[in-house]
Amino acid sequence: MNDTPIYLPESGDWQCAACGQDLVPAPVGVTYLQGGFTITLMTCPACHLSLVPEFLAVGKMFEVEQLLEDK
Amino acid sequence: MTATESLCPVCLARLPARREAVGEDGWLVRTCPEHGEFRARYWHGPPGPAGWDRPKIAPSGTAAAGTAPGEGCPYVCGLCPEHSQRTCTVVFEVTGRCNLGCPVCFADAGTGFDPDPTLAALETRLIRARRAAGPANIQISGGEPTLRADLPDIVALAKAAGFPFVQLNTNGLALAADPALAGRLAAAGLDSVFLQCDGVTDAAHVALRGRGLVREKRAALDACAAAGLGVVLVATLVPGVNAGEVGDLVRLAASLAPGVRGVHFQPAAHFGRYPGNGDSAPRLTLPEVMAALEAQTGGMVRAEDLHPPCCEHSLCSFSATYRVLPGGRLALAGSGGCCDKTAIPAEEGARQSMAFVARQWGAAKPVPAPEAIKDDFDRFLAAAAATPTLSISAMAFMDAWTLDLERARGCCIHVAVPDGRLIPFCLYNLTAADGAALYRRKSCA
Repeated sequence: MNDTPIYLPESGDWQCAACGQDLVPAPVGVTYLQGGFTITLMTCPACHLSLVPEFLAVGKMFEVEQLLEDK
Repeated sequence: MTATESLCPVCLARLPARREAVGEDGWLVRTCPEHGEFRARYWHGPPGPAGWDRPKIAPSGTAAAGTAPGEGCPYVCGLCPEHSQRTCTVVFEVTGRCNLGCPVCFADAGTGFDPDPTLAALETRLIRARRAAGPANIQISGGEPTLRADLPDIVALAKAAGFPFVQLNTNGLALAADPALAGRLAAAGLDSVFLQCDGVTDAAHVALRGRGLVREKRAALDACAAAGLGVVLVATLVPGVNAGEVGDLVRLAASLAPGVRGVHFQPAAHFGRYPGNGDSAPRLTLPEVMAALEAQTGGMVRAEDLHPPCCEHSLCSFSATYRVLPGGRLALAGSGGCCDKTAIPAEEGARQSMAFVARQWGAAKPVPAPEAIKDDFDRFLAAAAATPTLSISAMAFMDAWTLDLERARGCCIHVAVPDGRLIPFCLYNLTAADGAALYRRKSCA
């Protein structure tokens, strides 16, 4: 059973541009350096590319990436 | 051997130059038809200069070297079309006065009698500097900026002009004498204090600043921490004077994290006011600072941890960021180490560097309350906030003997001069063997 946090786009039906398949929720590993965790994203069942919704990409995900960025 | 350009340290004539590698040392060599050959060692020891590279791709439209108008680089700064990096830090001088008379001072401060610019004049200059530099960080400098009673107003004007990160370059004496000043500056929008701190002993301060200052530095640190200002300890390093205190400075900084956010080393360059002869003076180069850090911290900081910069020219600096563990132990943060040698666009390097400085040298983020933690991203961020981080960095300024014009063209730290031009820090402060300045106007008695 998948009980990981789910991050879905705010609206719309989404298809994979490359495969034409409807995206479906699927567990995705997020890895930062040696650590990581699993979240649920809309994912193409054929090529397994996932859609990171904008609010996550420019929000918490961006904050975490900034932590890892050096000068 | 690589080709570049330099100046004659006597007459400041531009000369073709070469970087010679001798073992793991780097020498800058050029010959003035009038004053002869000059050889200056700009790099001494491992890692040799050849492998220390993080190339930048100059913005499109950058003119080729040798095509600047008129007399050309470095005589027509402001910035000229040959300059290959944008401004990441505007240095903004608000007074020439100082409350110390240091034997070493790049700005040769406190020797003139020029009146301070008015607040209205500074406002105009800030707006002009912001327009010229874009959304850069700003460092309020001098002279000693805290001698101005209206310094909080200047900080507020810098913020209002659109500088997102405002830092104060200070000796800290006023912050120590008036503990409420730090709070007033923080309330005005100050983010960070670049606190001159040359060592942990009074002897280091006596040699470089003329008197013991340890107690006052500590009081300034406490005041800044209480006001929620990020502090960077900044040490001017002179061989045989305080180069033996870099390890103690790191330990001091770690013990005061997260109030202290970084330690920054500046090997003394021979411009402005300095003792001795610039030609024969011993110079501390970046790899020597790396080696001193490793030796004096018992390997807690390793030379291999340190990487070249993503913004300025590779030969100008190094840095690394550490997590401060219980007991003051340091653990390299992030992926760390040297180094990603992939060429990056200069603009992207500047963006990264500005964001890092604002994040690391400003106050630490508070640890979020448990009820604010909703998912693993929040947990990751909370775990990071719970462990203080400390940056360790150094910048090698260039003087008339070590000036490499390729490095100067890649500079991102620009002084906003009163007439509106932005001039790379080293060029602005550069003085010839006889003290004549390339740019900085000498205040006259």
